[in-house]
Amino acid sequence: MAKYQVTKSIDVRGEVCPVPDVETKRALKGMKSGEILEVWIDYPMSKERIPESVKQMGHEVLEIEEVGKSEWKIYIKVK
Amino acid sequence: MAWTGLVIGFVFGIILQKGRVCFNSAFRDVLIFKDNYLMKLAALALALQSITLLLFAQFGAIHLAPKPLNWIANIIGGYIFGLGMVLAGGCASGVTYRSGEGMTTAWFAAIFYGLTAYATSSGIFSGWSKWVSKFNITIQSTNPVYASKIGPTVSTVLNVSPWVATLVFAALLMWYAFGTKTTQRPTKFNWVIAAILIAILAPIAWWTSAKSGRNYGLGITGGWVNLFSVYTANKPINWEGAEIIGIILGALVSSLASKEFKFRMPKDPKTYLQVMVGGALMGFGAATAGGCNIGHFLTGVPQLAISSLIASVFFILGNWTMAWLLFGKER
Repeated sequence: MAKYQVTKSIDVRGEVCPVPDVETKRALKGMKSGEILEVWIDYPMSKERIPESVKQMGHEVLEIEEVGKSEWKIYIKVK
Repeated sequence: MAWTGLVIGFVFGIILQKGRVCFNSAFRDVLIFKDNYLMKLAALALALQSITLLLFAQFGAIHLAPKPLNWIANIIGGYIFGLGMVLAGGCASGVTYRSGEGMTTAWFAAIFYGLTAYATSSGIFSGWSKWVSKFNITIQSTNPVYASKIGPTVSTVLNVSPWVATLVFAALLMWYAFGTKTTQRPTKFNWVIAAILIAILAPIAWWTSAKSGRNYGLGITGGWVNLFSVYTANKPINWEGAEIIGIILGALVSSLASKEFKFRMPKDPKTYLQVMVGGALMGFGAATAGGCNIGHFLTGVPQLAISSLIASVFFILGNWTMAWLLFGKER
């Protein structure tokens, strides 16, 4: 189950655009280097946008795991 | 002939869904996320469409119909529409195609958008729209690419051939699209393909719509208004109303096929209140301005209509204002 040592987890399923993106950025701001953020999403556009934008910020995307029907968990390692 | 709207809408719905075409995001991302992916899609679609529409008009298949210029309506309506789309979580086409993807917040946004647009054009707010339409500015056109009574365009104001104005416009947007750095994104239809498909679909849409007696291209607001008049006042369905049903079905089939359909619900019920207020503002704004991000921005700007250019500037300013208020701290 616990694939990664997740430090913080946010569930933004069903939220309207761009709340998932904004919540991800907010969560990352309060985290320390090396910690892992788990973002739970259910909108395909978020799956395409969020990894690209956090990579731009310098963080590492460990995995985009499909966890259900149109549901994914993005694991982000803070730089 | 209204059924052709259903077919065109279906194809448009697939393009919107696969290309993730949302103008609310396009405008907002440039300011808040420094992301120009969707803005480039929009710019390229406008550039190519300005040429494809004019080609069809040149060969006499359609007569371009730039919307009347109305400083008060285009500015106020455009700004209110821009504020509304951020709250609604999508523009007029965005909430329409997301309704087909099972986004429950989009249903509420779309219903309040259509209902309020209907109220503004022929219901409780019709006094306002009737009053503001007194300031409509139209001109008589002699150029056969245009309908006889049109709103002024860049070409009529500068008194140059529509081709000169269009090619300069298209060249500027192409330079922006290909000459500057693009934000990366792994989308099913990348931005270039989505823009090309829209530019091919748009003149065909106009041609079939004109055959049904409605001389305009792709649109959203008028379609929702038509659907509400069909539902509540037993009016006949028109091309644009059928187009809306087509978009929803197209997005439904497309999202089912790629396993992206899901009934999505936010955890905080207050979100529904937010999208309903946003939808209502969009409906009032679009009906006042004489069009939404599709009628004015996607279809009106390529005709270089002054009305659509002004409305679009205020769509973007309204969008930026609300996006700044809600998400400005995340820049």
